[in-house]
Amino acid sequence: MSKTAKLTLLGILFLILMAAPWMLNSYVLQILILTITYSMLGLAFAFTLKVGLPRFDIAGWWAVGAYTSALLMQKAHLSFWLTIPAGIIIAVALGWLIFSVAIPRGMMVFLLFGMVIVLAVEQIVGSVSFFGGWGGTGMLPHPTIAGYTIIKKPDLYYMGLFFLIVNILIYYLLYNSKIGRAWNAIGSSVKLANSVGINVVRYRMANVLIGNVFLAVAGSYFVAYSSVVAPSTFSFPNSVNIMMYVVIGGISYSLFGPLVGAAIITFIPEYFRIAKEKEPIFTAIAIILIIILMPAGVIGIFDRRAIPWFKRVRWLSWFTNKAKES
Amino acid sequence: MNFGLFLQLLVNGLMSGGIYATVASGFTLILGIMQVFNFAQGQFYMLGAFVTFGITASLGLPYPVGVLAALVAMLILGVLFHFAVIQWTLRHGFFHTMLVTVAFGNLIGQASLITFASQQQVVPPVIHGTLNINGITISNGKLLVIAGALIVMVALYYFMKTKIGTAMMASAENKDVAGLQGINANRIFWVTMAVGSGLCGIAGALIVPVLGASNTMGLDIFPRVMLVILIGGTGSMSGALLAAFLVGIIESFAFQYVGTLNLLVVFAFAAVLMFFRPGGLLGKPLPIPGD
Repeated sequence: MSKTAKLTLLGILFLILMAAPWMLNSYVLQILILTITYSMLGLAFAFTLKVGLPRFDIAGWWAVGAYTSALLMQKAHLSFWLTIPAGIIIAVALGWLIFSVAIPRGMMVFLLFGMVIVLAVEQIVGSVSFFGGWGGTGMLPHPTIAGYTIIKKPDLYYMGLFFLIVNILIYYLLYNSKIGRAWNAIGSSVKLANSVGINVVRYRMANVLIGNVFLAVAGSYFVAYSSVVAPSTFSFPNSVNIMMYVVIGGISYSLFGPLVGAAIITFIPEYFRIAKEKEPIFTAIAIILIIILMPAGVIGIFDRRAIPWFKRVRWLSWFTNKAKES
Repeated sequence: MNFGLFLQLLVNGLMSGGIYATVASGFTLILGIMQVFNFAQGQFYMLGAFVTFGITASLGLPYPVGVLAALVAMLILGVLFHFAVIQWTLRHGFFHTMLVTVAFGNLIGQASLITFASQQQVVPPVIHGTLNINGITISNGKLLVIAGALIVMVALYYFMKTKIGTAMMASAENKDVAGLQGINANRIFWVTMAVGSGLCGIAGALIVPVLGASNTMGLDIFPRVMLVILIGGTGSMSGALLAAFLVGIIESFAFQYVGTLNLLVVFAFAAVLMFFRPGGLLGKPLPIPGD
């Protein structure tokens, strides 16, 4: 695809997303808002995967952002927009404290630390009564902008879309800057990056802390559309599921893989809803099949660079060769 | 703290430590040899408990039959899991296999939630009565769990000394060189998966007379297994064993003082340990930052 075609496609996509509130009912809009949140989380996972670190602590930092916003709005009566920087500061400061232990110890320790962080955050916000306990905080005030309360679904949707687009733009700029190239080098080979003078620990630390900033913002956005913040939202299984968005969308597509994956994973259960309590079983089988049949992700089969597993099957390889020629 | 309370907390800690050791050694085997981060490990443990529940409480057969049935069922399930799912994703790398185990774990969890109701299923205790030392009472059932876990550990030690066990360790060390010596990596893989799952089945069968079988036990044990791997060092069997008992004991004593926040105490211990021994208790410190 040429650059013009890509830009045109992006423009059309943007127009469709902008027009969505007029075409869809509020139930689908609610699912779209969820998709936007999960996309932001998936983007952060893919962002840190660039330096070869899998994050399983996503829900923990998401919770830090959400609880900071919720408690400051509820107890200190601060404006919603002031609570966003507060959440960012807390997430980055705590992250720096914890990750200065974990990051120098390598990938596996980082992974295990992440899991423990999620569990610890869930335990703390659930057990300590200051955070509202297992039932969650009480009803939260809605964010206002110049006297106008953001409470309707389309308004919340546009707010999320704004956050998401800002996220994507910053990620794009970061990936194409000098620091992004250093991250790419670390992702391809830690030893090689070390040998050309890249300080692996510091670059990884920068990456993870920038990721924390985005996660805290995603937490504040969660507070804006959800009227209650409860620990069950930030549970360990939810945190692990975020990895699915990235792998299903395509693990090598850092910007659009998470978006596609989040959309697929949020909408698959809706189609299986008629199966009632058997729905998670069908969802799990669908995910296993997607991973086995499309290892390069859903975007990967549309991309000529990807070599799918089924390329060696004759009638399918005819199809992929056709895609290659165009 | 008086001596009686100390002894009871110690027995509780050793009991959960034995269970963690059994599950974590299976986990570490699969991680070390196959490079698969098996999220379904906790769910296999839960299924082992439910198989034993079905054999002993529902069918009324003796308890050893239940343990054997749990072992065999999990061995078969592990092999099936390998051939149906894991095998196809191994070549795509770490994340694909990890994600497949997550999805498979969700599948098992939901299936067991539908089959067995969400309330706890109770199995009649195997050994009644208590051990009495100078007026301190300790339940015999808990001692049986510790003894069972120790027997499993010894059996695993001798299994790793056999020909296939040595081949597994060689494959973990270096797959290519092991292949040159005539070790079939695919065969090693499904044997590893079977052993790792079978260990979970035994662990579930051992714990079920004391705690009963519930749907959440798989999710409950998984973070503990993670802490065991973190403290014991990744890929180290003896480290996992030592760390499992350590985690069990710390958790048991911390529960006395801070209640349900006891996992945080273990986490703090792990974080402090990481300062002094980056590679875990018995693992070697990593030479360079990274992978």
